[in-house]
Amino acid sequence: MAKVSRILLAGEGGQGVQSVAEILAEAAYEEGREAVYIPNFGVEQRGGVSIAFLQISDEPIGSPKFNTGDIVVALSGRAVSRVRQYVGPETVFVYDSSIEVEREELPSQAKRILAIPAVEIAKKELHPRVFNVLIMGAVIRATGVVSEEEAKKAIEKRLGYKFAQDPKLRELNYRALERGMELVAQAG
Amino acid sequence: MPGKPIEGEKRVFMTGNEVVAWAALAAGAEIMYGYPITPQNEIMHYWTRLAPKFGREFLQTEDELSAGFTTIGGVLAGKKAFTATAGPGNTLMQEPMSMAEAMRLPTVVVIQQRGGPSTGTVIYSQQEVTMTTLGGNGEGMRIVYSTATHQELFDYTIKAFNTAWKYRFPTFILGDGYQAKAREPLTIYDPELRGITMVPAEPLVGKPGVPGVDRPPVHLRNTYNVEEELYELVGSLVRDFERIAPEVAEYEAFGLDDAVLAVVSHGVVSRACKAAVKELREAGYKVGYFRPVTLRPLAVPALQEAAQKAGRFLVVESAQGQLARLLKDALYGSTAEMLPLYKPGMGITAEDVVARVKEILG
Repeated sequence: MAKVSRILLAGEGGQGVQSVAEILAEAAYEEGREAVYIPNFGVEQRGGVSIAFLQISDEPIGSPKFNTGDIVVALSGRAVSRVRQYVGPETVFVYDSSIEVEREELPSQAKRILAIPAVEIAKKELHPRVFNVLIMGAVIRATGVVSEEEAKKAIEKRLGYKFAQDPKLRELNYRALERGMELVAQAG
Repeated sequence: MPGKPIEGEKRVFMTGNEVVAWAALAAGAEIMYGYPITPQNEIMHYWTRLAPKFGREFLQTEDELSAGFTTIGGVLAGKKAFTATAGPGNTLMQEPMSMAEAMRLPTVVVIQQRGGPSTGTVIYSQQEVTMTTLGGNGEGMRIVYSTATHQELFDYTIKAFNTAWKYRFPTFILGDGYQAKAREPLTIYDPELRGITMVPAEPLVGKPGVPGVDRPPVHLRNTYNVEEELYELVGSLVRDFERIAPEVAEYEAFGLDDAVLAVVSHGVVSRACKAAVKELREAGYKVGYFRPVTLRPLAVPALQEAAQKAGRFLVVESAQGQLARLLKDALYGSTAEMLPLYKPGMGITAEDVVARVKEILG
């Protein structure tokens, strides 16, 4: 089977996991690669854990969902238990260090478990609004699925109209992306 | 005159529902009738956003019965009309589509399957196969394309309009919640550019001239007084359907010549099966792949040949044997063994298929 990068992002509604997956998918698509992104969706409008399934490959991709992720990111306490089933022995599991979670609640089967202070840094150094872009940086650094440059282009494509009104926002987003990458580099 | 919806061709990255809306525009669909139900809602949403720009129309009805019957009304008036639904909406849709079957009306219906029975889930399944191929009171004289990728959703939605208007049988695109909601790349295009000529629509009632003098009278019926009359009608439906079946039936297959087991699936599940069969073949397993594209009519001779070559089918579907039932009917008399991998209402991955094949072949 062709090498497929499988990324699963889970968090509370409003944390922006779906936008991260969508921007990454578009970045991969712009690089001319195959990408399939599907959100989990159900009857709930609010209140469930929001999960995004993203796959990127150089060849056509099979089923839109998958059993085991290469990287699984959980951004809330509930998300940690919800996504446990997608963690295998080759999975890098990333969660936010602000989540109060007992050691045994973490998926011990993972290849690596990384705790990153994404929430804290977004709040203190940047702006809570760019929290998801910081997570995107972390995913890029952990997987190398798309280049930093292509990710920036995809952000520009999506938020360019906002950047036009306030160029500082561009800088803020780019910094969030870079900080996310640094966090994983340091944690690794 | 509004311009063409798609000039030339274009690489895009979008959801399956958006793909269907673009394909219907490109195919020259003039009006969509619909009632909201997940996971097909965005077909309506995109259509209502796009249609006015290209002089097309939309009518939201009070339910799916009405959406189906108004689609019939549109077709009778000579419009390329379509609707889209899912799950319990598909159940209601069977009543109008049975009428379309009786009157040979070229309706186009897009189904995005969700989990059942009843309200089930709004997410995904392949549990609407029996209903879409054979639903309604009647003999299931309808054409059903089961798509696997966004590219196919585009290609076959365009094709469905031509199939419907050429053969005058109700035509369905059978997708699912995964295809509806996932985003992936595809190329959308102006059909003309690809050498596809769209079959023109024409009014089926209210034609010019005096009936019986200038032209044969139009006599569209769904009610018959005597058994013999209905028997004659159904006979002609069956004969016509059987005559066109070899022309309409489509399938995809590989690796059957040396196969000791053929993995048979349809729709989005065939993507996982294709990946699994490729991987297994690379690892030296003699496994073949067969995928009917049309579930109605099935490509019966090709299926029989596959059964004869492989001798054993592994039928993989997100339903409890709905595809298998169609296959068994087509293969009556064959000694091919049929093994199941059924996960009703659940997604199936290549890993699931690989594991099952290894379990069978050891």
